[in-house]
Amino acid sequence: MTVQDISSLPPARGQLLAGLRDILPLAIGVAVYGLAFGLLAAQAQMSGLQTGVMGTIVFAGSSQIIAVERLVAGAGAGTALLAGLALNLRLLLITASLRDELAGRPWWQILLGVHLATDENWALMHAMRARGRPAGYWYLVGGGLALVAIWVLATVAGAGFAAAVPEPRALGMDFAFTAAFIAILRSLWSGNAMLLPWAGSVAIVLLAGLLAPLDPTWTLILGGVSGAAVAGAFGHD
Amino acid sequence: MTETWTLITGLAMATFAVRLSGYLLGRRLPDHGPWARGLQALPGCLILSLVTYLLMQGGPQEWAAGTAALIVALITRSLPLTMGAGIAAICLLRAFF
Repeated sequence: MTVQDISSLPPARGQLLAGLRDILPLAIGVAVYGLAFGLLAAQAQMSGLQTGVMGTIVFAGSSQIIAVERLVAGAGAGTALLAGLALNLRLLLITASLRDELAGRPWWQILLGVHLATDENWALMHAMRARGRPAGYWYLVGGGLALVAIWVLATVAGAGFAAAVPEPRALGMDFAFTAAFIAILRSLWSGNAMLLPWAGSVAIVLLAGLLAPLDPTWTLILGGVSGAAVAGAFGHD
Repeated sequence: MTETWTLITGLAMATFAVRLSGYLLGRRLPDHGPWARGLQALPGCLILSLVTYLLMQGGPQEWAAGTAALIVALITRSLPLTMGAGIAAICLLRAFF
């Protein structure tokens, strides 16, 4: 399907397909991590069914990796759950910032939308909108559906063919998301009003890293909230 | 085996609760003024914090590859090209330095 076809479709379906299409470069990175997670799941003696169910109903890659890694290290389910949950607290900020997309929608769309919200499709939606493209709820859902499918396929495949899975770092894929988020930041930059909040976020993350090495989740939340606080306190409507 | 199912269902419910709570929290914040401005600035600030953190965890090779990715992003504004440039740069740097 070409770009012209998509723009002539009804808004919801057009956005869903655009979301599916635009997420593909990021989905390749997700697939590589999915294979790596499958490797870990095999070490934890998880079956293909368990791996697939976990990918579908948890659908939060980094927390799945941490939690199962704890399990492999011999921790109990409770400890592993807490480690995974801590990493997911930033999702609170992600879905909080989705309120305009979710406002006035039926409850099933709200539940679907929040479950499918991940760093990748949420960030991409904001980046596309900052560039003047129509990207809202269905764009987010389209990207999310593509990511669920790829994540489940890759994790189950990784668990099944553990011996043949390459290490992400050996392919340079550990840098894929850093590069992707740099591209997304470029699209989100909309002028000098963002200079102060962004500088605040960077300063706080650097300070936290140098002075008081915290758990990554808390560093991210502190940095994100600090920048937002600067925008709230010193910005203008 | 039971341990694994406990973890899967527990983490799924906890993660969904976090996602839903974020929405309920965001819905209660005012539409105008400082809170709205903060919420609007949040995505960029959170993604920038993540990139800063990831680059801090790396060394000179990651910083150089990040610079290469940023230059391509500034010129092209393209996600696939920026990802390609970043991955190519980190592979070259790790192979030759």
